[in-house]
Amino acid sequence: VFTLCVKAMRYSPPEKPVLTRCRSPEKETFTCWWEPGSDGGLPTTYALFYRKENSETVYECPDYHTAGENSCFFNKNDTSIWVNYNITVVATNALGSTFSDPVDIDVVYIVKPNHPEKVTVTVMEDKGWPFLRVSWEPPHQADTRSGWITLIYELRVKLEGENEWEMHLAGQQKMFNIFSLRSGGTYLVQVRCKPDHGFWSEWSTTSYIKVPDYFHREKPMWVL
Amino acid sequence: VLCVAAVCSAVPVSDLLDRASQRSDTLHALSTLLTHELDSHFPPLGRVIMPRPSMCHTSSLQTPNDKEQALQVSESDLLSLARSLLQAWIDPLTVLSNSANNLPHPAQNSISNKIQELQEHSKSLGDGLDILSGKMGAAAQGISFLPYRGGNDIGHDKISKLTNFHFLLSCFRRDSHKIDSFLKVLRCRAAKMC
Repeated sequence: VFTLCVKAMRYSPPEKPVLTRCRSPEKETFTCWWEPGSDGGLPTTYALFYRKENSETVYECPDYHTAGENSCFFNKNDTSIWVNYNITVVATNALGSTFSDPVDIDVVYIVKPNHPEKVTVTVMEDKGWPFLRVSWEPPHQADTRSGWITLIYELRVKLEGENEWEMHLAGQQKMFNIFSLRSGGTYLVQVRCKPDHGFWSEWSTTSYIKVPDYFHREKPMWVL
Repeated sequence: VLCVAAVCSAVPVSDLLDRASQRSDTLHALSTLLTHELDSHFPPLGRVIMPRPSMCHTSSLQTPNDKEQALQVSESDLLSLARSLLQAWIDPLTVLSNSANNLPHPAQNSISNKIQELQEHSKSLGDGLDILSGKMGAAAQGISFLPYRGGNDIGHDKISKLTNFHFLLSCFRRDSHKIDSFLKVLRCRAAKMC
């Protein structure tokens, strides 16, 4: 009887879910994620509702699947910019419903692109001295060609085994040369991008490149 | 000023658009900085009583709401939208500038300076866009008139001052993003591609 009682007391309406973040990778679609609270010991369902500025109509999330668990994806047709979305998540179980705090977002203020793609690093040579040529492409969803989104890029380079990354801002260029290399050293290279108004992407996956041994008189050799 | 009229006639449209979109970029970035600065000391009540964005004096202007729509708008119409928005902010920017001088906010000085910068950038961007519209033919000269009827006074007590200031600025922030987006699309069209 005791255990039954404890079990019964544990049942409750779900805890308040929390809308954790919304992000648009390209100013054309966006996704919002939430964190569910405790489910009150009962099967609980979650629904996201939104209302757009200038309209009283409340819509339910158009797509709970594309962006994974506890998320709502808004495709191009469901995404307007320069319009506020008022978003709320509702958790429901047999004992009741609980609403998250609402969040107001305008898609243009939550742009964080995917990282650059096809990062290639090659060893080039200038008058017998090697240098690295790093080139990349913008994330393929981002329409940089029409000017809808403008990206700037940043690289970081590190000699294998060292702690400090060396940063280089590349501007809108999709190519960057790196000089003064350690003979025989292996370099790690990553690239990220930022829209004209928005947040830095994650870094691209690391590219490794080995510089061939060559005779040189650069400083680190003297120190060694 | 983007360039002197006489010199400008020799400058290709693509270069003018390049300069203009650098200005509009700065304009929007500044308004974002200002918004964050204000946010740091915003009364909680202000968030509740702040007017909705549809109350912005420029909200009646029909503008594209996504990429597909924006890319369908003609060059002259895009420029005309940008000019209309910029024109609509001449008066309210003056109101912002005057009220920034006695804004009850710990960063009042810095806010006041930035508002002044906004005014200067808007002025020179406006001059540049006038020159551009002259080069782009009659259709680009059209402008929609969006009068600001908010008056010179933004409020009497601390909370209404801060709230109305914030509201006006958030309207400007959205509009400067529109202006910047339209000009950057125009820039890429003039350059054939970006």
